Amino acid sequence: MNKKPVILLVLDILSLVFLAVAAYLALSYAPMEATMGNVQKVFYFHVANAWVGMLGFISAGVAGIAYLRSGNPKWDIVEVAAVEISLVFFLIAILLGSIWARPAWNTWWTWEPRLTTAAITEMIYLAYFMLRNGIEDPNRRARFSAVYTLVGAVSVPITFMAIRLFRTIHPVVIGSQSAQAQGGFNMSPDMEVAFFFSLFTFTIIFADLFWHRIRLGNLANKTEELKLKVME
Amino acid sequence: MSISPETTNYMIAGYAVFFLVFTFYIVSLVVRWSNLRRDMHILEDLEIDNKS
Repeated sequence: MNKKPVILLVLDILSLVFLAVAAYLALSYAPMEATMGNVQKVFYFHVANAWVGMLGFISAGVAGIAYLRSGNPKWDIVEVAAVEISLVFFLIAILLGSIWARPAWNTWWTWEPRLTTAAITEMIYLAYFMLRNGIEDPNRRARFSAVYTLVGAVSVPITFMAIRLFRTIHPVVIGSQSAQAQGGFNMSPDMEVAFFFSLFTFTIIFADLFWHRIRLGNLANKTEELKLKVME
Repeated sequence: MSISPETTNYMIAGYAVFFLVFTFYIVSLVVRWSNLRRDMHILEDLEIDNKS
């Protein structure tokens, strides 16, 4: 349990190397967008962070289903790991979006459909930890959490589709966008390289952190079990 | 010919925020792991003491 698997070590190294390459591609290789200037380069990491955030929230829902079907506590550990990591990535996506919006929309924040649904999603999963902290019985906590992540997962497709279903100023880079959208742009081949490499890199980073967080959860459980045993 | 707006500071702020939050999270994982390892060692020693 405590010895780090070789594959995880390889994943750690790959994550660091790919992150450095992704940063280089975004900051140096991809050309500057003419209308927005250099702030457009925030987009590469913004979308990649949002992608892994959503990936984790969906993974948590899947782990929730697995827990409800099997009752195996390992799925509860997986679920918590997915939610925690996704909360961090999704928060970064929201912050980067806000920084991009200041020069692009002349405001840090506006209550348009995408930003509103993203903020609600983040708050739903923040409340997940409040729910967990409020329940002492581990089985009951795991069961309630599993149901909560299932319900919470509904917010993910709503957030993803918000810019495609509603009239919004948030740009859609892939697919058609609303006529009200501000700050949209067409990606050149160089931009596409930076964009897709960032998506790939953050998927690898997510897998790496997910594994680490699951190991942390397992160690916490073992420590708790040993504590109870020693106190007997 | 149009001139692109000067928004480099926002780009720097964006990447700084990313690396700051990301590093903070990695550090929190490392700290929690090492705290649990320390607790585990203490509990294992206590368990051995209890048995003897």
